[in-house]
Amino acid sequence: MTQLFTLLKISDGLAIQFGADGLGRMFLCLDTVMWILVGIYAFKYKEHMKHTKRFFAFYLLTYLMLAALSMAANYLTMYLCFEFMTLLSMPMVLQDGTPESIAAARKYLMYSIFGATLGLLGFFFSAHYGAGTVFTPGGLLDPAKVAGNESKLLVVAFLSIAGFSAKAGMFPLHAWLPTAHPVAPAPASAVLSGVITKAGVLCILRVMYQVYGASFLAGTWVQKALIVLSLITVFMGSMMAYGEDLLKRRLAYSTVSQVSYVLFGVFTLHPVALLGALLHVIYHSIIKDGLFLGAGAVIFTNHKEYVSQLHGMGKRMPVTFGCFTVCSLGLIGIPPFAGFLSKWYLAAGSLSEGLPVLSWLGPAVLLLSALLTAGYLLPISIHGFFPGEGEKEAEGKEAPFQMLFPMLVLALGVVVFGVFAQPLADALLRIAEAMF
Amino acid sequence: MTGFGILIAILVPILGGALVPLLDFDARRAREYYVFAIVLATSVYTLSLLSSGQGSELVLYHLTSTIDITLRIDRYGSIFALLVSVLWPLATLYAFEYMSHLHKKNRFFGFFTICYGITLGVAFAGNFITMYLFYELLTLATVPLITHEGTREAKVAGVKYLVYSIAGATAAFIGMIAILTHGGSLEFAVIGLGDAATPENRRLFDLAFLFMFFGFGVKSAIWPLHGWLPTAGVAPTPVTALLHAVAVVKSGVFAIGRVVYFTYDAGYLAGSMVQKIGLAFSAFTIVYGTVMAWKEIHFKKRLAYSTVSNLSYIVFAFLLVTPSGLTAGLLHMMFHGLMKIVLFFVAGTVMHQSGRIYVTDLRGFGRAMPVSFATFTIASLALTGIPPLCGFLSKYAIAEAALAQGSPLAYAGVAALLVSAVFTAAYLLTICVRAYFPPADFEPWSLKSVKEANLYMTLPLVLLTAAIVLLGCFPGALQAFIGGVVPAAFPGL
Repeated sequence: MTQLFTLLKISDGLAIQFGADGLGRMFLCLDTVMWILVGIYAFKYKEHMKHTKRFFAFYLLTYLMLAALSMAANYLTMYLCFEFMTLLSMPMVLQDGTPESIAAARKYLMYSIFGATLGLLGFFFSAHYGAGTVFTPGGLLDPAKVAGNESKLLVVAFLSIAGFSAKAGMFPLHAWLPTAHPVAPAPASAVLSGVITKAGVLCILRVMYQVYGASFLAGTWVQKALIVLSLITVFMGSMMAYGEDLLKRRLAYSTVSQVSYVLFGVFTLHPVALLGALLHVIYHSIIKDGLFLGAGAVIFTNHKEYVSQLHGMGKRMPVTFGCFTVCSLGLIGIPPFAGFLSKWYLAAGSLSEGLPVLSWLGPAVLLLSALLTAGYLLPISIHGFFPGEGEKEAEGKEAPFQMLFPMLVLALGVVVFGVFAQPLADALLRIAEAMF
Repeated sequence: MTGFGILIAILVPILGGALVPLLDFDARRAREYYVFAIVLATSVYTLSLLSSGQGSELVLYHLTSTIDITLRIDRYGSIFALLVSVLWPLATLYAFEYMSHLHKKNRFFGFFTICYGITLGVAFAGNFITMYLFYELLTLATVPLITHEGTREAKVAGVKYLVYSIAGATAAFIGMIAILTHGGSLEFAVIGLGDAATPENRRLFDLAFLFMFFGFGVKSAIWPLHGWLPTAGVAPTPVTALLHAVAVVKSGVFAIGRVVYFTYDAGYLAGSMVQKIGLAFSAFTIVYGTVMAWKEIHFKKRLAYSTVSNLSYIVFAFLLVTPSGLTAGLLHMMFHGLMKIVLFFVAGTVMHQSGRIYVTDLRGFGRAMPVSFATFTIASLALTGIPPLCGFLSKYAIAEAALAQGSPLAYAGVAALLVSAVFTAAYLLTICVRAYFPPADFEPWSLKSVKEANLYMTLPLVLLTAAIVLLGCFPGALQAFIGGVVPAAFPGL
């Protein structure tokens, strides 16, 4: 980071500092676009909610913290923004005020704070063993101080990365996600699943590549353990999504699985895999926001929450289901839609990284999970458009335009970023290469 | 001259407090003016002493040729005196309103003010004997405050407190005698045991250390000697807040610091078995207190257990016996005082305004008492350790000191600190969530009669919370002031 803005210098080694590097800019762009689109949708969806002022206040405050997190230039600032992002997004989860939503919000709060506390452990050590505090590609640790303490630092690296992965829904700290995302109002679920989970990814990227450094972690047990955890999550999330009937929870499980695709790429510590991870951050955000907005549109206009209630709904809500289908195809990874390319790079990077077993096991799991993704998403579209013979005609009407518009934009994004991916991939490759 | 100044600072509140029951005020206004004048004058005078009278000394009289009663202002004592003299006027202001519905106000404010002088005595004690004297006096003077309500429960709590404290002080006394009879120095100006610490004496001195550590550990609420503290929560809230979160318990912690750094020293304790015992007990207490706080639903008892946990942060930091451990402990001593007094004040305000004492009964209070709960939330976040609030800084300092020390028990302490942070979030932030986000079936009219407290209560809350934020962002001056203790406690450096 070339230019730093110091908001507050607390004492030596403790400062709240911001700076813009490629990675931060990418996340900031993503956050902003998604927040605007989902915001437009929420203006209509709010008719479905109580306490709308409160909702929008926390919606904007969460955005503020996400933006600050993207621009955080050191570990302390990142930790601060991470904690406040949790605290300020939590009220969106308990928006409905039902006992389940309040319990879910608490669960979300405790998992996130537990994870952040593990992250704080990492901060203590990075402050102690670091040569500086500002995030540096290749790591900021001081080799002289590190010498002899490698094994200790590896344990801490593992714990702090696992801690931040709570936000990204990685096993074993994933359980809050399928509880919290479905109970929130649809716009909140969309940004929670599509964008806020990526904040966990960003923190992990910072910690792995810019605090410890890729070379410090490459080939260690930490890397292998993390890859195994991410692959478990990819598979487990897909399986759980496959067996879930409540649409929003199915999508939440899908998020668990898909964000771990990203983490798999991050953990592989290879530029091409990292490119795939960054691409998937963007693609999954677009796709998952589109899917959640679709699910929300069905709830808003026709009060149907379960997949089994959606037979024939596609005929009544053609635009909603059209967008939903495009997003589904993207998530499964069918070319030329967005989602194919990112998985391609993930697999290619993993294969050329050359860790024993894991380098080919990873792509295999990703492939298997893609099949499951098709299994849990396509039937929704199929039954939606082509209800079985003799089934009763579904009742219902199309969602209002103000909700359709963001979904159309997102679906268009899935097509455009899939077909004309080269400029985006080039830009992200530069970011990925700059991380090493 | 400044030597006598110390005596004035101690005697003004003691004598002034003793006069309150004698003057027997009938009018609330008159008593308030009188008490507040005494307390404020003491604070202003003490603060001026701290800035101008460092190092001044007064030998009151010689008990024997080796034992004397000495008052001295050194940097270590100044830090405690600073904390006390800032918090006392604010707590007094709060107490005026809180006590307005209770009986025997003259007795209460009499003892409340006397305790101020005695606590300053602990801070300014120049040797072990003097500190012991004021330490015992503090126990005696606080008992009437605990039993103030006169209920059976309060009396039981008072007796429990008395027995625990006197037993602890006695244990410390035994340790003191052992040192005195084997050639060690009880003067705080003389660091370490010097030539007395021969290998033959070492076993005895180790034992004496344990006696003193656990003796003063009673007031510092180290497991398993913490039992009196949650019980003493029956006292009126100003007592629980000021005495049981700041003055009394910090006297215990302060005394342990005196033992560790001024009677013994780093050279003696570093790496010793007794240091390990102390670290282990305090690390365990950190976790124990925080888990108990989480399980407790009585508002004030929950905060009391939280105090148990946080006091051990300080003791743990002290026992690292490094310069950074000492300053980190002192920093947390200051900051915990600020944070915990806010939390207790809010618990008391809730009791005073609505009579509710369980954390589960606080649905919707965020709207009913906006100022109180705003300050409560900020103090909760600070105690959890969210930057840039002050609690983060002291936790960070303790963790860094522990990492620098690097022993396995120090790492265990860091782990305890983090476990405690998670539980702190659980037992404090859930209160905030409940207060601000009541469930959909909550009916706002059920809190119609609950009003925000008046300025007597909200002003101290707002000022203290401002301090929590400002000291978290700009700790430089305070850290420099605390850092001044290092040359005195580590003359070899």
